[in-house]
Amino acid sequence: MVNQQMKEENLKKIFYPSSIAVVGANKIAGTVPHDILVNFVRSGFQGVVYPVNPKAKAIASMETYKYVLDIKNPVDLAVIVYPSSVVDLALEQCGQKGIKSVIIISAGFKEVGEVGLERERKLMEIAAKYNISFIGPNCLGVINTDPAVNLNASFARRMPEEGSIGFLSQSGALCTAVLDYAFPRHIGFSKFVSFGNKADLSELDLLQYLKNDEKTKVILLYLEEISDGRALMQISREIIFGTGKPILLLKSGRTAEGARAAASHTGSLAGSDKICDAALRQAGIIRCENIEEMFNKAIGFAYQPLPANKRIAIITNAGGPGVLATDSVIKQGLQMASFTDKTTAILAGALPKTANIKNPVDVIGDARAERYRVALSSTLEDHNVDGVLVILTPQSMTNIESIAHEVTLIAGKYDKPVYTSFMGEMDVAGGIDILQKNKIPHYRLPESMAEAFSATYRFRQEQALSGLEIPRFPDVNKGRAHSILDGAFKAGRQFITEDESVNVLEAFGLPVPDHGVASSREEAVTIAEKIGYPVVMKILSDDIIHKTDVKGVVLNLRDRNEVQAKYDEMLGRVKCLRPAARIKGVFISRMLEKGEELILGMKKDIAFGPVLMFGMGGIFVEIFEDVNFNVAPVNTNEVKRMITGIKSFPVLAGSRGREVSDIESLEQCIHRLSYLAMECPQIKELDINPLMIFGKGKGCFVADTKIMV
Amino acid sequence: MEKIEVRSRIKKVISKVLSVDEQAIAENANFVFDLGADSQQSLELVAAFQEEFNITMDEDKAFSAQTVSQAVDVISGYLN
Repeated sequence: MVNQQMKEENLKKIFYPSSIAVVGANKIAGTVPHDILVNFVRSGFQGVVYPVNPKAKAIASMETYKYVLDIKNPVDLAVIVYPSSVVDLALEQCGQKGIKSVIIISAGFKEVGEVGLERERKLMEIAAKYNISFIGPNCLGVINTDPAVNLNASFARRMPEEGSIGFLSQSGALCTAVLDYAFPRHIGFSKFVSFGNKADLSELDLLQYLKNDEKTKVILLYLEEISDGRALMQISREIIFGTGKPILLLKSGRTAEGARAAASHTGSLAGSDKICDAALRQAGIIRCENIEEMFNKAIGFAYQPLPANKRIAIITNAGGPGVLATDSVIKQGLQMASFTDKTTAILAGALPKTANIKNPVDVIGDARAERYRVALSSTLEDHNVDGVLVILTPQSMTNIESIAHEVTLIAGKYDKPVYTSFMGEMDVAGGIDILQKNKIPHYRLPESMAEAFSATYRFRQEQALSGLEIPRFPDVNKGRAHSILDGAFKAGRQFITEDESVNVLEAFGLPVPDHGVASSREEAVTIAEKIGYPVVMKILSDDIIHKTDVKGVVLNLRDRNEVQAKYDEMLGRVKCLRPAARIKGVFISRMLEKGEELILGMKKDIAFGPVLMFGMGGIFVEIFEDVNFNVAPVNTNEVKRMITGIKSFPVLAGSRGREVSDIESLEQCIHRLSYLAMECPQIKELDINPLMIFGKGKGCFVADTKIMV
Repeated sequence: MEKIEVRSRIKKVISKVLSVDEQAIAENANFVFDLGADSQQSLELVAAFQEEFNITMDEDKAFSAQTVSQAVDVISGYLN
């Protein structure tokens, strides 16, 4: 088994090899085994390349070896391009040769079914035997634009420009499309990796590598599946909050499965993509909808400094686009800057009388480079401005290229971000090219420009909120909860009864009303008298999960007579409707006063582990699905966001004369539930529905609960 | 047909299709990995075996034979 240190060394040789064997290279132009070899030459690879082919004496004028074992010199990296049926033989020889770093381009593995899966298993066995780390199989390959290596170990059509964006993709075909998209826009990459079936090295290993890669400032990731969500969150947090490198992710399968049928509310509301969304947000990852959005945001991060705040200046030579940009700035949660008197005076002195010297600054349609120069430099000088958006539309007198040069020159002098939108296509193409070559972010539309700017601002905000504490609760009684849950688990039960659920919650300090279990009418009265009226009665049975279906819940019993009467009535009804059900007794608890109904829940997700859900109860959850998710454990900031992030939060905040709810006690409940979720892995799903919240200082209480194991 | 004859005729076919010296073809030589057959030549090999022995092989079975000895077994199975 390859340990972490070996893996890091092996990865280093994948990106920075001195010598490479192309195992399975051939002479047939237009095939992967040939083109990949030629790409090494074309990219100007700084090391030695050894083609391996059983028959050819030379390929592309390079001496060729029958087997990798025939190469006398040491080899850092093997790139295997043989058909899948013999990749294991090639990998075995790589192991014998002492090659620890391998890229397997060949397809025909897991993606083709059982036979391929078996082949893939074999590769993993060989890799483990020789401490080999490999990328692939079924991938496009790896590119490293660092001039120290100039490595194009892929069958992409061309080598991209050098840049600071690291791109990792599960899809090889998407990689070629991305390279083609990036090339005319002068978007450069530091490392470019297609990792295919990720049989050995996965996105987690590659993220770990990019974390420490000095050439990479921004990481883009395309995933089709997240197999270890918690590990992805962990490494992403280390990168985002530890090194300040943003991660932008495009994940397909948003609508794939939908919510699965589940016994609890939380289960049915927690569709896999909603959880994925929440988890990525929690980890600080920026999830994008498409390639264009991903690169729009990426170039902002890669080319410009992060804004110190959100006050924006807009400079435009056209009124309409200026208004559109202003709308977008506001919509994206940014602010239009108010200029200082000094800036206003400079603009008034330099621009025509018809120009708008307020924000957005309209330099008027006939503006040439000089007006843009004055407007841009004075707004960037202004301490009330955190960033500038420059818009241009092409008029007959607009010297587009000169303006682009001017913007490039001035932007480089300030530590504030400058984004541009030269609107149009043909006439503005020359200017756009100048901007793109000079790493000034350019956008086709002002709306995309504002959206991208906003992403960088929010990223900076998120950084400030990271590292908040996760509360611990020394008062909890884990043993009590575990004995209940383990007992149920061992007995093969899928859910625990209400009294057991309440006891589990109580053990973790969640507020439950006074309660007791009665096995007779007399005992029911004794418990009710002790608790105080009014009380609630619920049937307890391992065979009845939905108590209301069998009319096993009676509310608001106000005296001993009602308790006695309803006790007999309820048992009679349940026995009639479910004669086979084994009755454990009757759960009696204090009837809560009317408060705001909330729903709090937890579900164990395959990829992300325990996930918490919070929302308003009643119709808010039934119809509007107004709920928020977060992966446990949650920190103080995440809990606050879970609560304030629901659409109906104003109801809790006291809108329209309502009493302000006890948010502090709600926060405590969520933290305690988070702790419970982490400490009790036996729980599959948990619902507290409703959690009744009262006015400030009056707390909140669990009115009903369900726990599935 | 005796296996020895099958083996000899298989080697002749391989030598012709892959342009390799018949004497250099080892018993466990892999058509792709050791003898350098590309995907086109792999197809040609199967076709040549069928013609040589006047048999029609199941595609999956034919391509499962990756070495000389495996080809001998598969083809002998058809002949017997």
